[in-house]
Amino acid sequence: MLTYGFRIGMLLVISLLVSNPCLGGALDVFDGQKGTVKIAGGTAHIPVMKEAAKRIMTRNKDIVITVAGGGSGVGIKQVGEGLVDIGNSGRQAKPEEVEKYGLKMFKWAVDGVGVVVNPANPIKSLTKDQLKRIYAGEIDNWSTIGGTDHAITIYTRDEASGTRAVFWGKALDKGEIVTSALFVPSNGAMKTAVANDPYAIGYVSVGHMDETVAPVALDGVTPTLETVKSGQYPIARGLYSNTKGDPTGLTKLFIDYLLTPEGQQIAAENGFIPVK
Amino acid sequence: MPSKDALAKSVFLCCAIASAAIILAILGFMVALGIPLFRESTFSAIWFGPWAPHRGAYGIWAMICGTFWIALLATIICLPLSLGMSFVIASLGGRRIRKLLGALVQFMTGIPTVIYGFVGIFLLVPLIRQGLGGPGMSVLTASIMLAILISPTMILFFTDSLLAVNTAYVQAAKALGANRVQRLLYVMVPRALGGMASGFILALGRALGDTLIALMLAGNAIRAPQGFLEPARTLTAHIALVKAADFDSMEFRSIFACGITLYLFTVLATIAVRMMARERVAVS
Amino acid sequence: MMRVFAERMVEYLSWAMAFLLCLSLSVFLSYLLIKGLPSLGTELVFGKADPLSVLMGRERVFDGIFPAIIGTLCLVVLSTVIALPLGICSGIYLSEYATPVMKKAVGGLFDVLAGIPSIVVGLYGFSVAIFLHHHFSGRLGPCLLISALSLGVLVLPYIVRSTQTSLEELPAHIRHTATALGATRLQNIAYVLIPNALSGISSGVILAIGRCAEDTAVILLTGVVATAGVPSSLLAQYEALPFYIYYISSQYTNPAELSNGYGACLVLLGICSALFMVAHGMKKRLFHWALYRL
Repeated sequence: MLTYGFRIGMLLVISLLVSNPCLGGALDVFDGQKGTVKIAGGTAHIPVMKEAAKRIMTRNKDIVITVAGGGSGVGIKQVGEGLVDIGNSGRQAKPEEVEKYGLKMFKWAVDGVGVVVNPANPIKSLTKDQLKRIYAGEIDNWSTIGGTDHAITIYTRDEASGTRAVFWGKALDKGEIVTSALFVPSNGAMKTAVANDPYAIGYVSVGHMDETVAPVALDGVTPTLETVKSGQYPIARGLYSNTKGDPTGLTKLFIDYLLTPEGQQIAAENGFIPVK
Repeated sequence: MPSKDALAKSVFLCCAIASAAIILAILGFMVALGIPLFRESTFSAIWFGPWAPHRGAYGIWAMICGTFWIALLATIICLPLSLGMSFVIASLGGRRIRKLLGALVQFMTGIPTVIYGFVGIFLLVPLIRQGLGGPGMSVLTASIMLAILISPTMILFFTDSLLAVNTAYVQAAKALGANRVQRLLYVMVPRALGGMASGFILALGRALGDTLIALMLAGNAIRAPQGFLEPARTLTAHIALVKAADFDSMEFRSIFACGITLYLFTVLATIAVRMMARERVAVS
Repeated sequence: MMRVFAERMVEYLSWAMAFLLCLSLSVFLSYLLIKGLPSLGTELVFGKADPLSVLMGRERVFDGIFPAIIGTLCLVVLSTVIALPLGICSGIYLSEYATPVMKKAVGGLFDVLAGIPSIVVGLYGFSVAIFLHHHFSGRLGPCLLISALSLGVLVLPYIVRSTQTSLEELPAHIRHTATALGATRLQNIAYVLIPNALSGISSGVILAIGRCAEDTAVILLTGVVATAGVPSSLLAQYEALPFYIYYISSQYTNPAELSNGYGACLVLLGICSALFMVAHGMKKRLFHWALYRL
C-alpha cells in the first residue's frame, strides 16, 4: 500500500503545500479585498516592500500596491501629510514628528548600518576615530592608513535618509561630514557607487551588503547579521513602517502581513533581523 | 446671435490667453511659495550662504556655482565642436557629406537625455577616474556629456545662420576667386554672427536648465566646485534631490528659491536672444 | 602667408572637430547596442510572466518593463490630448487674429516657456498637486493626471509655435483665394489654411510627443515611482520608461537588471528616434524655420 512511489508523492505534495506561499495562510486575509496602498520612504525597506507587494498582488488582482523611495524623512513627512498610506523609516520618528502628525510606528525588523569599501581595497578595518577623521576630511588619502596612494572618495546620503541619521549619530558621534562628499539617493545607489569606485568609502544598510562591496570592521567588529543580532556591532536601527493614526483596511492588513511568520521570513531573506 | 466667426475668434483668444496665463502662473506659484523663505532668513543668506540643513542654513550659492561651472564648461567644449561641424555642413563638405552629417545631427536631437546620462555613468565616469583622477563624477564628466547633448542645437543654429546669408554675396566672392574656406571665413561668418550668437545663448540656456546629466554624472556634493575634477551640484539637480513633501520646512522652500533663480536665468537669456535677433534684422 | 596658414588650420580643424563629434556619437551608439542588444526580447518586457496573459490583463508583470512602457504611453496620450487643442487654437489666434503688439508679447511669453528648465515645470506641477491636496481633497496628490498636465504645459510652446509658423508661412495666394470667393474667416481657416499647414503642425505635434516620452525631470517630481504596475487610474502613481532607466543606473542589484537597463535604453531610443524621423519626414515639406528645432 505505502509503495515507494506513493511515499515520494506524499513527500512532494507536503513540501509543495508547505513551501508555496500562495497556499500559506498569511495571504488569505487579502482575498476579496480591493484598493490601493501607497508606500514611500526608507530605501532600505524597498526590497522587502517589493517582495511583499508582489506576493499580495499575485494573490489578488484587485489590489494595487505602489512602492517609492525617498528616504526616511520623506516617508515620515509624506505619510504625515497624507500623501501615502505607509511611510517607511529607518530611524525612529522624532517625538515632535509623532506629535505633529499623530504617527503610529510599527517595527518589523532590525538592521545595522555598516561602513563599506570596494572589494579591491586592502583596508578592511578601521577604528572609530579613523572613520570620524576620514569623514571630516582630515584623512584624505588611503596611504595615510596603510592603503594605496590615492585620494579617498567619500560617499554620503542626503538629510532625509534614516541610514545617514543613524550613521551620523552612532558611528560619527555627530561629527562633521566634509562638504566635498558625493551624494547618493538611496542604499541601493550607495552600494552601486562603492562597488564601481575602487577608492570609495560609504555606509549602507547591513541587509543590502553583498559580495559587490566589502564591509569594514569598526573597532574590530565586522557588521554582519550575526554581530548586529548579538548586539556586538552597536550601530543598529529598527526598520519601521509608520501610519497616520491607527491603520485601517488594506493598510492594516499589509502591516499585519509584515509581522506574520511569512512576512518576517521575507525580512530575513533580505538580510534583516526579524523582530519575532 | 453671434456669428460663428466671432465665436471662433473668442474661442481662439481664450486659448491664447489661457496659455499665456499658465506661464505667468508658474512664476506666481514660485514666488508665493518662496516668500516665507525670504522672511525668515535674510536675502543674502539664501543666495550666498552654504547649504547645511542640520544647522539651519539653506543657502543655494554652491548650487549656483555648480550650475555655472558645468554649463559654461559644457558650452565652451561644445563651441569648437559645433563650429567645426557647422562649417563642414554649411560650406566645406561635398554634397553627400553635408546631407549625411545633417541627417546625423538631426538624429542626435532625438536622443533622450537620460540615455546620455546612463552611458556617461558606465563609460565616461570610469574613464575620467582612471585617466584624470578625482572621483570620476565631476564637473568635467558632466560638462563633456552635456556638450554632446547641446551640440545639435548649436550646430543647427550655426548652420542655419551660415546658410541664410544672401547667396549673392557668396557667389560674388566665388566669382572673385575665393575658395571654400575663404568664402566661409570672410563672407558667411561675419554676416551670420548675430544668428550664431543667438544659437550660443540658447545652447547655454539649455545647458543651464538640464537636470539629468548633472544629477547622474556630477556627484552632487554640496560644496561649490574648486576645480574641474571636483564634484558639484546644480540648481536643477538640487530640486530633484530635495524631495520633501511638506510646505512648511525651510529646506523645501529653498528649492523654490532655486526655481525662481532658474526662471530668472531663462527670462534673461530669452531677452538677450530677442535683442540680438532685432539687431540682426535691423542690420540686414 | 599667415593668412593662408590660418585658412588651412580652420579647414583642418573643422574636419577634425566634425570627425571627433561623429566618433563620439558612434562610440556612444555602439556601446549601447553592444550592451543592450543581448537583452532585447520578451523577457525584458514581460519578465517571467506569459506575454499573452499579460496583454489580456490576466497576469501582472513584476520584473519587466511592460508597466513602464504602458505608463509612458498613457502619459504621452494624456498630455497630447491636453496640449493639442489649447496649442492649436492659440497658434491659430496668434497667426490669424493677433495684433503685432500681441504677437510680440505673447510670443515672448512662449519663448520664456520654451526655455524654462523642465524641472521648474515639474516643480510647478508638484506645488499644484500639494496645493490641491491641502485645499481640496486628501486623495489628490502627485499622480498620472498631474504629470500629464505638467507635460502638457512643457510641450505647449512646441505646438503653438509650429502652428503659428506653418500658418504664417502659407503663401498669399492660398490665403486669399477662399476669402476672395466669399468664404468667412473661419471657413478659410478650417477648410483651406489648416489642411495646407497640416504637415508643419503635425511635425510639431510629433516633436511634442517625443518630448513627452523622453522627459524625466517633470515626472520625477509629479508622481512616478519605482514600482507601481500598470497605472490603475488617473489619480494613481505609475512607472515610466525614462525613470526606470534612471533608477536602474544608480540602483541595479545584479548584472541582469543592468542588462535590462541597457535594453530599456534601446527601447526608449528606438521610440524617440522613430517619432523624430516621422516628424522630420513631415516637416521636410515646408522650408526650414529655425527657431524651435530643439
